[in-house]
Amino acid sequence: MEERQYDLIFICRPDTPEADIDKLIATLEHTAAEKGAKIESIAKWGRKRMAYRVQKLREGFFVYMVLKSTHGEVVKELERRLKVADPVIKYLTVRLDEELKRQEKLKKHRERRAARRPRKAVPAAPAAPVAPIVPPTEQSAPTA
Amino acid sequence: MANAATHKDREIRQENRMAEENAPMQQSHGPSSGGMRSSGPGGPGGGGRPGGGPGGPAKRGKRNFVRKKKVCRFCVDKADFIDYKKAEILAPFIQERGKILPRRMTGTCARHQRWLTVAIKRAQNIALLPFAAEL
Repeated sequence: MEERQYDLIFICRPDTPEADIDKLIATLEHTAAEKGAKIESIAKWGRKRMAYRVQKLREGFFVYMVLKSTHGEVVKELERRLKVADPVIKYLTVRLDEELKRQEKLKKHRERRAARRPRKAVPAAPAAPVAPIVPPTEQSAPTA
Repeated sequence: MANAATHKDREIRQENRMAEENAPMQQSHGPSSGGMRSSGPGGPGGGGRPGGGPGGPAKRGKRNFVRKKKVCRFCVDKADFIDYKKAEILAPFIQERGKILPRRMTGTCARHQRWLTVAIKRAQNIALLPFAAEL
């Protein structure tokens, strides 16, 4: 099976010491490795205001990580651990590989079109000599 | 002569588009109540017709509005992917009460609106965006 990519975000209570969060991240890494998943990156976003209150808290410590795996069992295990962990108040896992694939595809498509376009653009240019140059710059707006 | 006319026409249209690029931003800053409504479907003069062609014929004595053509902001940026983690990009597309703004208000194209709703819903789930206004 091809590789899947997941985004995993979890939020800890804002009053947890960073050492505890590091410890938690370490255990998550360990379980991920055990299940044969690769952790691509980990980013601590730090204390952030949440858009709504969770467990009567307004702030939370956000941690974001990207992992790659060939099967979804890792996610199950990681989510179980997050559910059990005391400082964690919220978590979310999103599978992203299909969207990224789509993004790749669209990008390629656009590049191919851009490569083809110059031939088309040349005959159009003399018909409207001045106007097309104006729009991309924003400074031209006030003159109107 | 005909050539000159079409040229001018095009120029005007481009100006309209340019103005519109800034417009959704302004709208979304204060979507609370009054601002949105007045420019909505029941708005003055122009009637409920969305995006009526620029320079349409004047209707008798009524004020003649040139309805600005809304342009999808994600198409302008050539976005292939809308990231749910960037709450500041998604924020202009929700109302203060947490509702996702419809396409007819923001001018987002169908495809990007589809991606946008998914992104907003994800962001809501991880507390980056509100589900509803706080008490």
